[in-house]
Amino acid sequence: EALLGRGTGAAASAIGGSAAAVATSSPGGAAVAAVPPGKGGSAVWDAGVGAGSCLRVSAPAFCVCRFPLGGAVAVEDQPDVSAVLSAYNQQGDPTLYEEYYSGLKHFIECSLDCHRAELSQLFYPLFVHMYLELVYNQHESEAKSFFERFHGDQECYYQDDLRVLSSLTKKEHMKGNETMLDFRTSKFVLRISRDSYQLLKRHLQEKQNNQIWNIVQEHLYIDIFDGMPRSKQQIDAMVGSLAGEAKREANKAKVFFGLLKEPEFDVPLDDEDEEGENEEGKPKKKKPKKDNVGSKSKKQDPNAPPQNRIPLPELKDSDKLDKVMNMKEAARRVRLGPECLPSICFYTFLNAYQGLTAVDITDDSSMIVGGFADSTVRVWSVTPKKLRSVKTAADLSLIDKESDDVLERIMDEKTASELKILYGHSGPVYGTSFSPDRNYLLSCSEDGTVRLWSLQTFTCLVGYKGHNYPVWDTQFSPYGYYFVSGGHDRVARLWATDHYQPLRIFAGHLADVTCTRFHPNSNYIATGSADRTIRLWDVLNGNCVRIFTGHKGPIHSLAFSPNGRFLATGATDGRVLLWDIGHGLMVGELKGHTDTIYALRFSRDGEILASGSMDNTVRLWDAVKAFEDLETDDFTTATGHINLPENSQDLLLGTYMTKSTPVVHLHFTRRNLLLAAGAYSSQ
Amino acid sequence: MEAAKMASPKSGPKDAQVMAQILKDMGITEYEPRVINQMLEFAYRYVTTILEDAKIYSGHAKKPSVDADDVRLAIQCRTDQAFTAPPPRDFLLDIARHKNQAPLPLIKPYSGPRLPPDRYCLTAPNYRLRALHRKVSSTAGRITVPRLSVGAVSSRPSTPTLGREQLQAL
Repeated sequence: EALLGRGTGAAASAIGGSAAAVATSSPGGAAVAAVPPGKGGSAVWDAGVGAGSCLRVSAPAFCVCRFPLGGAVAVEDQPDVSAVLSAYNQQGDPTLYEEYYSGLKHFIECSLDCHRAELSQLFYPLFVHMYLELVYNQHESEAKSFFERFHGDQECYYQDDLRVLSSLTKKEHMKGNETMLDFRTSKFVLRISRDSYQLLKRHLQEKQNNQIWNIVQEHLYIDIFDGMPRSKQQIDAMVGSLAGEAKREANKAKVFFGLLKEPEFDVPLDDEDEEGENEEGKPKKKKPKKDNVGSKSKKQDPNAPPQNRIPLPELKDSDKLDKVMNMKEAARRVRLGPECLPSICFYTFLNAYQGLTAVDITDDSSMIVGGFADSTVRVWSVTPKKLRSVKTAADLSLIDKESDDVLERIMDEKTASELKILYGHSGPVYGTSFSPDRNYLLSCSEDGTVRLWSLQTFTCLVGYKGHNYPVWDTQFSPYGYYFVSGGHDRVARLWATDHYQPLRIFAGHLADVTCTRFHPNSNYIATGSADRTIRLWDVLNGNCVRIFTGHKGPIHSLAFSPNGRFLATGATDGRVLLWDIGHGLMVGELKGHTDTIYALRFSRDGEILASGSMDNTVRLWDAVKAFEDLETDDFTTATGHINLPENSQDLLLGTYMTKSTPVVHLHFTRRNLLLAAGAYSSQ
Repeated sequence: MEAAKMASPKSGPKDAQVMAQILKDMGITEYEPRVINQMLEFAYRYVTTILEDAKIYSGHAKKPSVDADDVRLAIQCRTDQAFTAPPPRDFLLDIARHKNQAPLPLIKPYSGPRLPPDRYCLTAPNYRLRALHRKVSSTAGRITVPRLSVGAVSSRPSTPTLGREQLQAL
């Protein structure tokens, strides 16, 4: 075992952390390195190379000290010791960088077809790292000519990143750009087959000046798999994120994606003759059958988390009444399918002047809230019943507390209205979320706070301060009490309404967290980010259990399927990707939209997936067919890749165009009517 | 205001053309026309602030003229004040690890609205009525009505339950 000691105080500079990596390696090449979170150092090893593992430490980019720290460093190739020791002094002659790169380019282009696609993955990370290396070591003119010469060769989906890079010409520019600093210190993950890797390694080690090999070892993590090399199409489906793909082992943890058991309670019989005692209000609502519900409910779903895995609030009487209403509505629910598409009711916000930034609708579709760029939050009642707030204290003292309808009497009729405006934020409101019991409303804004509003007094109750930067999205847990928020500081936070500080911090994304959603069983949180990855976090211990890459733009919408097994994600690239959470694989790709997808929602029983986008359309997709059992084979277990059929056209059930209203929110009512919302924009 | 596709103003001042070119280089193709004015104003204010700071630093170092180091120092100091960046990744991972070690707190049953302690809520009244001092009048003809002096309102929050504010006499 090689243990690298933690740096002494001298190493920990004022701005940087100390580099430390603790790695254990079993003899025989199957190296397992555990990088402790929180310390900027990272270790790389050569997983595919037989006996003797190589460990190198790279200090964080902003660490003042120039030498790697700590104890024994086992180095594989002796000539590279000096290179390691001068890791941050000079990575070879800057004027020769162009030669190194074009040499590699020539080699890859001359290699066999089957290897070329895989090895071409190297171009982008190498290009960026070499460029940043030149900039960091203040060789500006070399950096500029390097960029000019090679930036056109990169894949089209990296163009946005390259544009940002082109503006980073000096070392000082890098200091303020957290995303680029993170990119420099984290490892870009590539999945390459063993044959291609051997080819590359042999070539790079042959040459005298193997600077590229140094950079590969230092900044790239090559996840080697045994099997056929992947084709360009397969690779293109999975790459695109800022940190490469996901390591296979990152998606191996067990995830409890099943649903929590609904509590049993008596349903009062009424004239519709719904079932009584053993009624299980499962979210997958079917017409209640008396025969087999009881037996199925007793067995514990092996994929469901234990009931008390995370503490959840107990059900109040009002919640139980709500569930009864839910079940009654479920009985009247329309069964959707390719033959029976939902009706769509569109709520258009007029005169919003491009200020509508967030929309949410309650579960029972009684209220709709809009968050606006002028920092107001407006709540409307969708039903004829107006919004009422509780009477003032003076009036409350006058009512008769013993009367039966005291709950109606405490409501103030005089100020009842269809619209209530909530003032309090000092910046545009980017996310809103109703609580499941309709008592509270959350809103998050550019001013860095998340505000909890009471829907009974229509006043602000709490401001949760934690993110000091714009908060892009927030959502209540399906059971209430917990909520999650994600913002510009690249973390998502889990809060409870009665704690003024977050309970969990989910750190790991390289760029802003743009979208946060709870899993239906409230044990997991999915976050989509501007670094083009989706991560699934465990609420219990804050660990990241899944990383999904494949989108080519920041993710703006997430939707869990009602059975908890699948996740649908939409991004600025106009694609909807479908993921199997249990296996950690991409199982579908829905192409059709031409602009950012801001809204995704599954129907109540999971048969239809609706997507709404900036291209002014709502599209309906056949979810049942999309998730039909896909074949997995050895190739899948090796590469983590399923051969996806090109069936977007078959799965598309309908496209519905608005005149010029981008779709911002979608919601299926309890009876499977689809509600959509957007602000009319007159271009 | 509607955003319109902007071509670089051909007859505008050179600064505006440069700004339009910068926006184009950064990939921004659609913007309201006033954006260029705002960006120019910002650039002017930023540069003059930096140069003033640099002048002060070079004067402090008793240099005959302002040189690049002074400007660099001025930029660095201003960046720390004005343009704060989110915390670095290793710091975030560190505090995340710290925070995530604590188990999730148990939820007390039957506790009404679950809110943080009152200090952290926005439910308390943010005003207080000033006490009135009763003046003793010597003239007998004036009828003095005893006034109820109103002091601090009780700090019980006005939650949506049936609470009552209580007026206390000082």
